[in-house]
Parts: sequence; structure tokens; C-alpha cells
Amino acid sequence: MAACSIGHARYLRAFMFFAAFAVIGNVGAQVASHRPDAGFHYGFEAVSAGPFNDGDAARFLTQATFGPSLAEIANLRTLGYSAWLDQQFAATPSYQEPFLDWVRGLPPNSPSGSSSVYQQQRLETWFINSVGMYDPSSPPRVHDDQLRQRVALALSEIFVTSDRNGMLLFQPWALGSFYDALTRNAFGSYRSLLQDVTLHPAMGIYLSMAGNRKPDAALNIRPDENYAREILQLFSVGLNLLNLDGSLYMPSGQPVATYNQTVVRGFAHVFTGWNFNDCALSDYDDCGYYNGYEPGMRQSMTSFETYHDNTTDKQLLKYDTAVLPNGILVHGGTAPVELTKALDNIYNHPNVAPFICKQLIQRLVTSNPTPGYVQRVATVFNNNGAGARGDLKAVVKAILLDVEARYGHYSQGDRYGKLREPMLKLAQLWRNTVARSSNGRINLIYDPAESYGQAPQRSRSVFNFFRPNFQQPGEIRDLGLVSPEFQIATDSLIVSTPNDLEFRIFYNYIGSDHWTAQDPDTALMDLAPLSTLAAAPATLIDRLNLLMLSGQMSPFMRQTLLTRLNALPNANGGRDRVQHALYLIAISPEYSIQK
Amino acid sequence: MAVNRREFLRRSICSAMGGVSLYSALGSLRLVNAAAQSPTAIFPDYRALVCVYLYGGNDSFNMIVPRDNTHYNTYAASRGNLKIAQGSLLALNPTAAGMPSDGAQYGLHPSMTELAALFNSGKVAVLGNVGTLLYPTTQAQYNSVGYPLPPQLFSHDDQTNYWQTSIADDANANGWGGRIADLLYAGNPNQNLSMLMSLSGENLFQRGELINQYIMNPFGVQRVDYLDEYLNGPGATAFNAMFQQSSQANVFERAYAGAMNSSIANYQAIDAALTSSGDVTTVFPESSLGGQLKMVARLIKARNTFNMRRQVFFVSIDGFDFHSTQLTDQANTLADLSQSLKAFNDAIGTELNLGPNVTTFTASDFGRTVSTNGDGTDHGWGGHHFVMGGAVRGQRFYGSMPSLLQNGNPDDAGYGQLIPTTSVDQYAATLATWFGVPGSDLATIFPNVGRFATANLGFLNP
Repeated sequence: MAACSIGHARYLRAFMFFAAFAVIGNVGAQVASHRPDAGFHYGFEAVSAGPFNDGDAARFLTQATFGPSLAEIANLRTLGYSAWLDQQFAATPSYQEPFLDWVRGLPPNSPSGSSSVYQQQRLETWFINSVGMYDPSSPPRVHDDQLRQRVALALSEIFVTSDRNGMLLFQPWALGSFYDALTRNAFGSYRSLLQDVTLHPAMGIYLSMAGNRKPDAALNIRPDENYAREILQLFSVGLNLLNLDGSLYMPSGQPVATYNQTVVRGFAHVFTGWNFNDCALSDYDDCGYYNGYEPGMRQSMTSFETYHDNTTDKQLLKYDTAVLPNGILVHGGTAPVELTKALDNIYNHPNVAPFICKQLIQRLVTSNPTPGYVQRVATVFNNNGAGARGDLKAVVKAILLDVEARYGHYSQGDRYGKLREPMLKLAQLWRNTVARSSNGRINLIYDPAESYGQAPQRSRSVFNFFRPNFQQPGEIRDLGLVSPEFQIATDSLIVSTPNDLEFRIFYNYIGSDHWTAQDPDTALMDLAPLSTLAAAPATLIDRLNLLMLSGQMSPFMRQTLLTRLNALPNANGGRDRVQHALYLIAISPEYSIQK
Repeated sequence: MAVNRREFLRRSICSAMGGVSLYSALGSLRLVNAAAQSPTAIFPDYRALVCVYLYGGNDSFNMIVPRDNTHYNTYAASRGNLKIAQGSLLALNPTAAGMPSDGAQYGLHPSMTELAALFNSGKVAVLGNVGTLLYPTTQAQYNSVGYPLPPQLFSHDDQTNYWQTSIADDANANGWGGRIADLLYAGNPNQNLSMLMSLSGENLFQRGELINQYIMNPFGVQRVDYLDEYLNGPGATAFNAMFQQSSQANVFERAYAGAMNSSIANYQAIDAALTSSGDVTTVFPESSLGGQLKMVARLIKARNTFNMRRQVFFVSIDGFDFHSTQLTDQANTLADLSQSLKAFNDAIGTELNLGPNVTTFTASDFGRTVSTNGDGTDHGWGGHHFVMGGAVRGQRFYGSMPSLLQNGNPDDAGYGQLIPTTSVDQYAATLATWFGVPGSDLATIFPNVGRFATANLGFLNP
């Protein structure tokens, strides 16, 4: 007990590697193990081959979607990883704007509910698109672009906008349309993504590039540095020079800053002369915010040369391969021309690949990718194999088909994986139980940010709900690991999330007589299919183990759940057992860590 | 947070060995030694530090504004259309011993009537132009190549980190609230409750080596409902089995289970204490900050039930990053700050009669530029702050007030980003000394404070 956890963990890691192959014979042994069930593997398969069993398929889908279903597991096993990815790349994208427009157009007293559009409606369409729920705005449609939606969410946590901003609070279309821009570019080029993000009115409001103006020495006015600083720090290159593998470049033992204040000012000058596309030049200084549904809130900002600085040379990023000599953009260009050159200057910086790729890996797969993993994906970012840079489709493919995504849970044992984002627990539960409301609308009843500490585009600041380098104090920090999602696992939220899940599992299912379940817009889980399995608790647990834990449930946890369910009469057509099983799994430490 | 001294030593050493920074390792070891040697006596009195963090970087140059003609004209010329009208400023009338360093007369933003009254009645002091520094820094030094400066100046999260660690040359440092707790936690009779409580989410200020923050929401603590359901004993048994401390196979699973167990244990203690000690009667604003400060007042009211003698609280208010529409928006935010602080002062000083036992102070990412971008300001560096409480030697200005000249400003790092003339180390060390950190341990908690003229700015009575 007195041993330092560092040495202890090293021992565990070695043990895990062995255990991964040894555990098969242990299932059903006298002392139930806490180690994950490893499934069956030869250990020599090619990475791109497979999946070889349902657990493999479910595990892949856990990283690539909002949660596996039996049908998708079967589909993936039929197609194989590569063809499944191609199918997803080709799937019709789901967008938020059409839903918001549909709601706005609802007649009075419509059975489809109110025509009011607030941020809540943006969350409705997010859940419908991400969970793949029945969509009342286009009834026959089933949203099946799971991978695209999953990547879009990851991008929304890097290219952050938020309705916690006082001016965006009343602009659901701006934020919905911004999310759509992320969705549209999720498999496109990072360069296009950067452009669309930069010129989107939601970002223009959030980081105040809309209305940014050239210097006026007499009035002591100089360009707004907000967007200039954050596009560098958060959306592209980061604060310090990186090696291709994501580690800090430290030629003399110290980090080297990627840019300085002069560079921030250079970009701030470039980003002058932009405003909403229906803004009148005479209103440039004070372009009011429009009714949310108008074009100015949904379409790219437009340039106003009167307010663009064309008299100063701009110091941009300076690096060996920079096209601009010494990173200096000589004055005189129009706002769009300078914007193009400046975004190219960012886009081609060698930091972009490791900086963006590592965060995407963290969002989809594991909190602590090895340098090798980051480097392999970053290499694909720099060249997709056909000479193209910034191809996000190739990057996503590289992330999911990497040996570390597919087999890292064996090679890294007890430190692999990530804390699931709390909100995604609800999304997966709804997906598992094909939840829908009677009129198709989704009244969330409570603000998810209150119980889950997050909701799409609702973080406290541009620094997202959590930072990629956050280290939970204790063993995680002692081991030098990072654990981003733990930053919102506060004493309050670690309890409020299970409580909200309990409420929804035990009161919001089809057939519930709870008052909240009577509303036509309450999402109700369909527990009937699972309930038919409840007569044999082991069968029910095996099913949920596959869907929620990719078959990785430890023998100990399985035994614990079996004991619980066996002690529960198989009442209400099996529903009682299903509810307790869903809850106990959803809040369990083993499920909470996606491995 | 039940830990004994031996566990503290073990974990600190483990952490030091696992750390990536040499300073962190040495710093932790020094702290371990200091803790081992510091008196274990229980503090006889109660003291609390309350950090009010202004997220986003407050524009304090529009909050505390020169109002005599000469200085106002300089300010107005620099601020252009972002200036606050001279006639609307609320006069601050310092005592003779507390005149501002520049001889100017100052006023508060017109939305801060409560805070102006608190200053003029001696409950509040102003600390001028404080910020992150590695060494005392002049304009010439700032402009010279290689002079040591805090990394990533003007960046929100980096400067927030350095304000909260006060060690800008160590990216791995704990927060200074956390380090104080590591040193002093043994002086609390109750060793099971964290002496660090946040009402506003996870923060670096309260991250210690072994004392970690308890993070609750302003509306109270929550139980795990499932564990209390009628006739759900077997359900609770299954829950508890899965969360059995340290039994999980994966490091993240263990951390998750540990966080859950800690939350459950703290819920029971805090809920019982809050219930038995009851609400405070002082009316607080309905704002987020008002709610947070009200809960802090309730927790302080329950101090004897908790059996706590030293506590550090963290509350915050969002939205100070006014790059645009600053004039209208900052007025609302400052009004909230002023009204919430007033209510807290009433609750602590009048209702609970604990004025001299509780010191409240503001902190923020940075000050803002004296220059503007038309309808907002950008990220600056130094800025002014408030200290409030019965122990404060109030109605005085501390530190030095910077020039607000647009051109030829000796404090300007460029664009009106003002170089701080007082360091966060000095500010924090003054608060820590009042809180009970012995002078002999000050350099352990604040390794850089010796580089500055004084470790005690004198704004608190002992």
C-alpha cells in the first residue's frame, strides 16, 4: 500500500498486457476479476482487417458514432471498417437550419408544438441529428450520418462558439448555422473549415471580428485582437512550437512560443473590415443584430474596404516554409485578399497537424495518445497520400484505423481511454432505446448544462468545457497523464449526471405514468425490446455489455449486476430489471471510461 | 479528503518524482518539509479568504477612473468614445494616509454605488496596477531582449493560470490557494472536509498537492438519488460494489470512482451542517455571483458545525472580456459585482458579526488596454483590484496608480497594455500572511516573492 503509484502502475501495465490474453480462460473463475473482458483475439491481425467479432465492431462504433446498435454492428461486420467508413463519408449530412426553419413555420396550435425558436430548439435538432431520432421536420428521414455528426461535435469543442455569450443567446440560427458549417466541413478540407469558421457571423459575434476596424490614431483606436489571438491559440497552431508527434519542440530545453504580440497585432489588422452581409456601410460601427432567421446571421460576413487596414505591413507567422518572406504581409491588399493570404499562412504552419490531430484523437479515442499515434495521424494531415494537405476525411480515417485506436486497450492497459462526456451518456441511452416523443419534438425538461455540465455550443468560454491538458489531481496527475473531461467531473456534476439519467430511465419510457411522460414532446425510451430479455438476466446483461461496453465488462461487474438483477422480481414485463441494469451500467466506472 | 501527514508526504514525494518540471519537484519537496515542520496546533480563531474571480479580464481602467480635471483629461483622450463621463463618477475619498500614488482624485464607475460607499466607510481598499510578473519590470526592461517575463502575456487561460499559481515560470505549479491549504490544513479540527471550496467549478487557484477543492453549486449539495430510493438496498449494494475505492482496473476508472466517493462523503457532511445552521437572512442579488456568495455566507455560518478554522472559497463572475459593446455591458456586470459584494459584506459583517475574520479579494486574467478598438478594449496586463473585509485597512489606495497617457506613457508595454507595478506574488503573500502562513514559510508558498520590494503591502491588519 505504501508503494508509490508510479511504480505500481508500471507493474500494472506490464501485467495488463499479459492479462489481455490470459483473461479468456478466467471467465467464470471463482474470484471475479475487475479487469476488462478482452474478447477473443489472435493479436496478429492487420489493423484495417476486421472487425472480427461484435465487441470489436461495437468498440469501433463507440469511437465513431454516438453509440452502437445491433443493426449497425451487423452492418459494420458485413462491410468491414474501410467500406463502413466510405458509407459514412457518403451519407447525406444532417443540418440544424432546416429544423429551425421548420419550427418557425409551424402554424398556431400545431400538433407539432410551438413555433418559437430559442436555443432549446437548437438542442432539439442536435439530439435528433446526433442520436438519429425520428425527425418531425422531415418525417421519413432517418439521420444516419453518425460519423459526420460525431466529428462535428468534436470540432465544436475546438472551434468553440457558445450561447452563453450575451449577444449569441438570442441567435439560435447563427449558432445552428455555425454548427452546420462544422458538419459540412467535417470530411472536407481544414483550410475551408478555417475560412468558414472565420467568416461565420456566429464567430464574428463571439470573438468580435464583426465590425473590427482599421486603426485611428486620433481616437486611440486600433484593431480588435480577439479573433486574431484565439484563431492562433485555439483553432490552429497553439502557443508553443510542436514536433510532428505533438510533443513540445524544445531545442534548448524550453518551449518556444509560436508567435508573439506583434503577430497577434498583424492578424488583428488583417481581420479588419468585416461585418454581417446585410449590414449597410453607414451602419458599420453599429450594425444591430438582426432577427435570427435573416441572412446576416447565417451567411458569411462580407468585407467593407472602408474599414479595412491597407496601409500597414502585417507581421504574420514566420516559419521555414512560409510563403510570405519573413512572414510579412506587405500592405495594400483588399480585405478578402489579405484574409486568404493570412489563413494560408496559418494553414501551412507545421504546428497545425499535431495541434489539431491530437485534440481530435482526444475527443474520439483516448486522452493520452502516444507520440507515435499523433505523428501517424499528423502525417496524414500533412499529406493524405495524394498530395493534399488538411484532408479531414483522411485524418478521421487515420484516427479510427490506427493500431492504437483499434488495439491500444491491449497495449496500454490500465491508462488507455477517456472519460465519456456526460452529455453523451444520455445520447447513447436514447440511441440504445430508440427514444422518441409522441410529436417528435424534444423538450429536454431541464437545461442539460445544469445536470451534465455541458450542452452543445454552451461552454462558459472559448476554452470549451474542459481544456485538453487538464490533469485530475491524484493518481492521474501523479502519473503525468491528462484527463480533459475530468475538469467538469466536479463534486456536483458527478452526482447530478447520474440523477438526471436515473430520472429519465425510471420516468421517461413508453408507458410511463409519470406526469413528465404525458407531454407530447418528452423523449421516451422504448424499453420493450430489452425487457423481453430480462427473464434471463445474463442475456440482458450480455446485450447491454455489447451495446454500452463493447463487451469489455469485467467479470466482477457482470457478477455484481447479475446479483442485483436476480434479486429483483421480473416484474412489469421485465422493465424493472432493464431500468436498474441501464442505470447501474450508465453510472458505472467501467462504462464511464470509454476504452 | 481524509489524509494524514504521512499520506501527504508519500503522495507529495510521488508527485514530485513524477513531475516533469524540476521546479515542481523541488517546490513540492520544500513544501513537504515545511508542512512536516509547521506547528500542528489547531488555529484558535476562524479566518476565511474569498477569491472573487472576474473571468475574461476586467477593464479596471473604466472601473476606477481619475476624476480631477488634469488626470481625467488624459484618461478621456486615451479612451475616446469609451470614456466614462466625468460627472458620473462616484467619488472615492481616501484617508490622508491612503492617497493614491499619483496625487489624482479617483472615482468609481457610476454603477458601483455600493462599493463606493464601502470604500468610503473603510471596508474596502484599492490595490493599483497589479499583475503577473517574474521580476520587477520597467518599460526599458520590457523592451530589452531576454528580460524574463511571464510566458504568453495577454492570453486568457495562461494569465489566469499565472494569477492563480503566482509562479509564472512553472507551468506545472499548483494554485496558491491550494499550496496554502497544503501547508495549513492540519490547523483545522476537521480533517475530513476540504478547506478549499469552489462555488464556481474547477479552478487552478484551489489545486493543491494533496488538498483538493470541493466543488459544489450555489444551490446546495446533491445526493445520489439512487442510493436513497425506497427498498433499493440491493441496488445500493451493487452501486457501492462498483465504486469500491481503488478496486477498479483502469486509472481513469479509479479516478472517477474516487471522485464519486468523495462527493458522496462530502454531501453527507455539508448537507447536515447547512441544514442545522440554516439560511442567512441578508438578501443577495438574484445573479449567479449573488447566489455563489450567499452560499459562501451560509457555509461560513456553519463553520462551527463543520469545525473548520481556515477556509478558502472561490467564486466567480463571467463575461468581462469586453471586446465590443463594452460601455453598456460592463455597467451591468460591475453593478452585479458591486451589489453582490455589498450583500456579502452585510451578511458577514452585520449578520454573522465576522467582519475581521473574512477577507474578500478580486482577481482577473489581466487588465485591459488603455487604447480601444472602437467599442471595446483588448487584453492588457496590469489592473486595479479590491480587497474587502473588517481586517482591511480600507479607504486607502495601495500600490501605485499608472499613467493613462496615450503617448509617452512610461508604464506602457504597447497599445496601452500597462506593465504591472505590483506583482500577484505581493498581493497573494499579503493575503496569505493575514491568513496564517508563517513568515518562514512564505518563500515556500511564493518562491518569487523575494524578488520584489516587499511581501506585505500593508492593506490588512494582522
